[in-house]
Amino acid sequence: MPKRTHILALATVLVAGLAGSAAADKKQFRYVGIHPIAKAHGGGFCHIEAPHVHAYAAADVKVQYRDHDGFQYFVGDPVAYGWDGPKHAYYGHHPVPVHVVVGDDHEDTEFCYLDGAHYHAWAPPADLKLVLKGDAYWYMGDFPKAYVEAKPVYDPIDVVYKPIVYERPAVVVDVAPPGWYGLVVAAPAASVRGRPAAHVHGGAVIEAGVHVHVPPPPTVRVEVGLPSVHVGIGGGVIVEGGHGHHHHKHKHKHKKWKRRR
Amino acid sequence: MIRTTATIVIAAALAAACSKDGGAAAGGGTGDDAVVAAWKKAGLEVSALTDADAKAYSAEGCRSGTVSGVDVVLCKYDTGEDAKAAEDPALTSLGGVTGAAIAKGARLLVVADRRKADPTGRTIDAITKAFRK
Repeated sequence: MPKRTHILALATVLVAGLAGSAAADKKQFRYVGIHPIAKAHGGGFCHIEAPHVHAYAAADVKVQYRDHDGFQYFVGDPVAYGWDGPKHAYYGHHPVPVHVVVGDDHEDTEFCYLDGAHYHAWAPPADLKLVLKGDAYWYMGDFPKAYVEAKPVYDPIDVVYKPIVYERPAVVVDVAPPGWYGLVVAAPAASVRGRPAAHVHGGAVIEAGVHVHVPPPPTVRVEVGLPSVHVGIGGGVIVEGGHGHHHHKHKHKHKKWKRRR
Repeated sequence: MIRTTATIVIAAALAAACSKDGGAAAGGGTGDDAVVAAWKKAGLEVSALTDADAKAYSAEGCRSGTVSGVDVVLCKYDTGEDAKAAEDPALTSLGGVTGAAIAKGARLLVVADRRKADPTGRTIDAITKAFRK
């Protein structure tokens, strides 16, 4: 056997040994798509969209991430963590087509439970029933059972964002599409810098600092509950109890809505 | 100490192998050239790619180098299924190093930021996007 072959064989064994040792030395965490970087690892934002690994675990993983084929997918607002790439404004809860965002063929629709105005780095596909109005996307489709079932787990996500000071999208609730139903929230003072004050119409002044213009009947339902306010605009909404969102009659079927425990 | 010695031996062995075999064992050729061209077009600095240990990735051939300070390995497989199947073990082999492993066709790209040259992942994102195009 030539000397070079011996050396290569030795090298292969050592490479394998070192790789195993390195893997054992440091734990590995898998991500897909952009996400915040753990503060202990420098903070800021990771821009890698492809499936990738880091040495650190995701923060607030229970509410900020969803599992996509064994990889953690960040569903929160990237701007809050310093994302300076493309961004699109949304208002209220909506579906998240994870497979479309990450660009693979494993259909996986999750839900964003962020209340009020927030950003995502992705623009919605045309078939998702997200209507662009007032520079923000509003979800006009139905929320399936999976969304309702997972709500107790994921809805507390807003608590994570409460202490974060950043500029949220300036969305005036007046422009909500007719028929939209959702949670109207008072944006924190730090996030409304430069935003013109909303005007009150129809006498619907709800909660400190939240001014909502409610168009005239046919049907308007306003639920007042602390600390948030549910406002239905337009007709045909059925309100579920508590913090539930609207349920129209089912007009379409989604191919797959992920069920949660 | 043992690890340092081992690393030196590996480097010497790979250098010796590369210097005599040239690209014979590599997965190189026009496929790699196209990827390198895409990286350069994306504004990335690409080093020369040299033969790497294909067995570590269960590949037909591999070449390695750096792209804007980040280590890359390009491997070639018989089929796209083989390349796809190699993604997971390649990711696992990265351990706690920030990196990625993605297949496209019969090729696998493994990226590893061992020198922490890319703290926000912008370079790795550009590398993987250009590879996927």
